[in-house]
Amino acid sequence: MLRARRLAKAYATPAGGTHRVLAGVDFEVGAGEFVAVVGASGSGKSTLLNVLGLLEEPDEGEIWFGDGCVSGLSRSRRSRARGRWVGFVFQSFLLLPSLTALENVLLADRYAGRQGPAARRRALELLEAFGVLDRQDHYPPQLSGGEQQRVAYCRAVLNDPPLLLADEPTGNLDEANAGVILDALRKRAQDGHAVVVVSHHPDAVVGATAVRTITDGRLA
Amino acid sequence: MRLPALLRGYGFTIAGIAIGVAGLVALGAMGERIVRFIEGGDRFVLGQISVAGRGMGMGTGFTAGGLLPSAAIHAIAAVDGVAVVQSQIMLPLDPTTSQFMTLTQELVLGIDLSVPTPNREYPVLPVRLGRLLRPGDRRVAVVGAAFAASHGLRPGSTLTLEGERYEVVGVLERMLTAPDRFVIISIEDAREQWVAKDRLLRTLLASGAAALTAADLNTGAAVGWRDGVDPDELARRIAQDVPGVNVQIPSELSRLLRSSTAFFSALLVGIATLGLVIGGLSLANTIAAAVFERLRDFGVKRALGATDLQLGREVLGEALGVTLSGGGMGIGLAVLLGVAIDGWVGRQGQQLFRFSPRLVAGALVFSVVLGAAAAVYATLRVVRLSPAEAIRRGA
Repeated sequence: MLRARRLAKAYATPAGGTHRVLAGVDFEVGAGEFVAVVGASGSGKSTLLNVLGLLEEPDEGEIWFGDGCVSGLSRSRRSRARGRWVGFVFQSFLLLPSLTALENVLLADRYAGRQGPAARRRALELLEAFGVLDRQDHYPPQLSGGEQQRVAYCRAVLNDPPLLLADEPTGNLDEANAGVILDALRKRAQDGHAVVVVSHHPDAVVGATAVRTITDGRLA
Repeated sequence: MRLPALLRGYGFTIAGIAIGVAGLVALGAMGERIVRFIEGGDRFVLGQISVAGRGMGMGTGFTAGGLLPSAAIHAIAAVDGVAVVQSQIMLPLDPTTSQFMTLTQELVLGIDLSVPTPNREYPVLPVRLGRLLRPGDRRVAVVGAAFAASHGLRPGSTLTLEGERYEVVGVLERMLTAPDRFVIISIEDAREQWVAKDRLLRTLLASGAAALTAADLNTGAAVGWRDGVDPDELARRIAQDVPGVNVQIPSELSRLLRSSTAFFSALLVGIATLGLVIGGLSLANTIAAAVFERLRDFGVKRALGATDLQLGREVLGEALGVTLSGGGMGIGLAVLLGVAIDGWVGRQGQQLFRFSPRLVAGALVFSVVLGAAAAVYATLRVVRLSPAEAIRRGA
């Protein structure tokens, strides 16, 4: 489903030097797999996830979605590939404050050009499945953290992307809400999708088909 | 997406643009007011040949000449190309200020009602209330809009001039130029006003030293020309053929007027430039800031698959909605402010603002174009960032 070879990424430091965050990382995840990436803070977990999800370009290396290499694509083609292949769940939810919960979920469809009654129906089904249907007209600041992450999860899976990337998805949640989100991620993998979770939460590795540890930009 | 949803979260941005546009429109309206005044004067002087008696007498209107006797009027009428000559008397309403002719001075204009108005640009002055003067009218007056406002006059009111009571029969439309401060009466009445105001003239007439009749008491004349006649050429011919007169060449008078109002023109350019710079910078800055403020949102949208084109279209749509709303509100605000201020200063017969259609349309187009340009600039900056970078910076 997703393959990456020799990914490297470095950032410029304020002192004028460079800080290597990824150093020749190889990574692979297939349909039905749930891969947990763990590592200390600053080890490069989030950068790896951003690079794998085409949110950031690597300095070196190649990435394949299915049989197609997506490295070196133009900005717009990268956006389209991202919209078609990848769903994201972020630690800080990243819901748009000016949109209601339902509008936030439907956002994923807007850019895929699939807006319509079917998308709305599916969005409402997802919100109901995650117990936030009655909050569909509320704005993010009117929702609790747990509710916001459930809405964010609905947004991530609305288009049914083959790959789901979750960056510390339980980092801002209480135990009960963390359980809901981790269960949903595991179930998604069981349903035949590829799921990658970056987390320092011990529960995140429970049920993972593989656990990879990242240290100083190298994956073990 | 519906407009209210599109503009959600842009309240402060719209308010900021509204204030910028309000400033731009208010300054522009003041400029338009000045333009109207200058253009009105220019049109007037180009519409007739103004003739005065030769001399340096003050208080004889803007031509500043001497007495123009009846014989001179007849001699002018006999010049080839002249269509009509209208004897006129122009007097300051208040002689104590006659040495200080100003743009806002109130004047008594006496006209010979037995001949048609010769001015080609203003053949009939526009009347807002009542009627214009008719041949044979005596002790009645038509007043300019500013004069009526400052003196509280309307048709049926009584106006006292040099102890004589006049009935106001008409009030002119506001023209934003000289006639706004005129009291127009028949030339016969004006002659009596002149004699009453001028002690020297009174003494001279009483002494019998000068062979003057009432028909000789004119401060000037407005001359109209036949179709196809060059007014400048005709004016030169009058000056050459009729002795003892000062003739204003229309195009030269227009040039003179424009050069004497050069200060106002410069002020106008300054006001317009200031308005454009202040309003434009405020608007462009507000729109660009609004886009940059939503950096994180744009990062999220791109993470969800938005292409540059989709994002650009979205930002542009929002910018247009915001600038149109802000621009409309700004124009409304400026008009409200202008109407309120004009209502207040109008009691003294003043008007400071003129909201012309071209100003309103221009301000709206300017806002939208500048808003769109600022949005495009900001969007180009935003899409260059990777989605991860946009989310990080916008957090």
